[in-house]
Amino acid sequence: MTSSATLIRSARFRHEREADWVRLEMLVNKAERRGAQSLEFSEARDLAALYRQATTSLAIAREISLDKALLAYLEALAARAYLCVYAPQERLGGVFQRFFARSAPQAMRRSAGYIALGFLCMGLGALVGYLLYFESADWFHVFMPSELSDGRGPEASTEYLRGVIYNIDPGISGLGGFATFLFSHNTRIAIFVFGLGVFACLPAVLLTFYNGLIMGVFYALHVERGLGWDLGGWLSIHGVTELSAICIACGGGIQLGTAVLFPGQNSRKEALRLAGKDAVKLAIVAAVMLVVAALLEGFARQLVQDRTSRYIIGWGIGLLWLAWFTLGGRTKI
Amino acid sequence: MSRLENRRKRRAERHAAAALIMPPEGVPLSLEIAGVGVRLTAQITDILITLGFAIAILVFLGISGLTAPSTLVPLGALLFFIIRIPYYILCEIAWNGQTIGKRLMKIKVISHTGGPLTTHSLVMRNIMKEAEVFLPGTLVLTLQQDTSIASAISFLWVVMAFTIPLTNPYRMRLGDMLAGTHVVHLPEPILLSDLAREGSKPAVAGRPEFTFLSHQLDHYGRFELQTLESFLRAQKQGATPQNHRRNKETLSAIVQRIRKKIGYADAIPKAEHQAFLRAFYNAQRAYLEQRQLFGDRRSDKHFSNTDEPE
Repeated sequence: MTSSATLIRSARFRHEREADWVRLEMLVNKAERRGAQSLEFSEARDLAALYRQATTSLAIAREISLDKALLAYLEALAARAYLCVYAPQERLGGVFQRFFARSAPQAMRRSAGYIALGFLCMGLGALVGYLLYFESADWFHVFMPSELSDGRGPEASTEYLRGVIYNIDPGISGLGGFATFLFSHNTRIAIFVFGLGVFACLPAVLLTFYNGLIMGVFYALHVERGLGWDLGGWLSIHGVTELSAICIACGGGIQLGTAVLFPGQNSRKEALRLAGKDAVKLAIVAAVMLVVAALLEGFARQLVQDRTSRYIIGWGIGLLWLAWFTLGGRTKI
Repeated sequence: MSRLENRRKRRAERHAAAALIMPPEGVPLSLEIAGVGVRLTAQITDILITLGFAIAILVFLGISGLTAPSTLVPLGALLFFIIRIPYYILCEIAWNGQTIGKRLMKIKVISHTGGPLTTHSLVMRNIMKEAEVFLPGTLVLTLQQDTSIASAISFLWVVMAFTIPLTNPYRMRLGDMLAGTHVVHLPEPILLSDLAREGSKPAVAGRPEFTFLSHQLDHYGRFELQTLESFLRAQKQGATPQNHRRNKETLSAIVQRIRKKIGYADAIPKAEHQAFLRAFYNAQRAYLEQRQLFGDRRSDKHFSNTDEPE
């Protein structure tokens, strides 16, 4: 073995630092395999210090060394250590708490305008559908998909309509009912409304509008038979939550679409990324609301048959949502 | 021919440029971008895992009689959905951008800008995955006659979601763009021994060491040196009887070429070929590294043809 004095410069450089690199490699392996929390205090301290040394070594080696194997090793080691040092240091519990207590309501307030647009789309749709039905009852079949109406149409008798509103459907109930309802029409609509918003808002707005149309004709049908209030109760119990969720998802979609249409000073990609910060929180809020709505639809609607209590439960829960959005996450000044 | 070569070169350059990321320390690191195939494999593994969980719960529910058989299918779809979304998000938060599938394939999500991964970006990219692939995918798979237009649209949508990664050098899908992330291969640090430290003592005792004059070392650049390094390392490892003869031939061919090029007059006996090459490697590396310190980078043997120094 040659003595270190006769070695060429880059080999001497490596000889002096090699032990540190090997230790860093060991620490990185440990942190990756068993998580950064398994490191002792001294190890964690060394990890950060050795990582910075390794990046320095890499920068120097790139200048002075022509040893390909060494360069590849240092490159890989520094990259591996970088990924380890800059890992998200967050506990899962903290993530949930921060989201529900602070960031979700704050995001909702920031994007109030977009959400209002979402409600406007659905409201206009409902109005148009309502008016069109009274012009001609045939519009009902134009808008209403047959699998959704499940026999309830202009031909159905008033008694049948009343029966659906105030009766337990014996076929589907309990857990299975919950599942089918959650996977029903509205959840899909909500997800598409959000995802499709990227395409310049249009699909999101159209889908929400169409959803409003369906609501409008459906409501008009019942109003014509003098069942308006009863249907209101039937819809309120979960609809307040569910339809709001769709409108919120639509708001998120519109926000993404606006970023694509009017990126301002940023590039479109960058604008999308910025808009995504709030939009994704809107999507999660909508998802939570949909789960609650499905619970209400699957259980509460079958259990509560009284019109007034249906209204009270539905709008009461609506008020709770509103309170969360307006009061949550306000920092004391 | 040369245009094809040029294009290949440019593509390689783009590839290398895309792999560079700048950590806060200011020393650029290169992390190779993971291709679509690897990511798809990881994805399929994850889908199988979550599907397995959903089926296990479903079987349990079915056996314990908690649900009616008629509701098994929608319940299964729901379970798959409910398990899937938190699985991706929680795995990637807990394991720093890796799910089980990604761990198996040794790939990893990293932040596009070089900072740490945030919870927001991980949630974003996985929620977009739902809208991008899974929902339209399920629609396509549950194809029905009366909803053919919807199926066609969702099919197009899925095709588009798969093409977007191919159009950018970072192989980002839509969710990656929104979240500001991309997926890389985990580099594997392997510390090989230093060739220069293994010495160049002559195989035959008593023979003087090889010496090279500086004009003899002026012929080659970094590329040739590193090629020689690769050859010497390969010699050390693969010494099976089959390729032993071929190795010997290559070795003597290289020695002849180098001797001719640098004008090394003394003849070298066959037994010392290896020692000669090692000595030449050491001398050449020391010389080139010294030139580099003085600002004279020689990327290959054509370094003198270019007018301005790098």
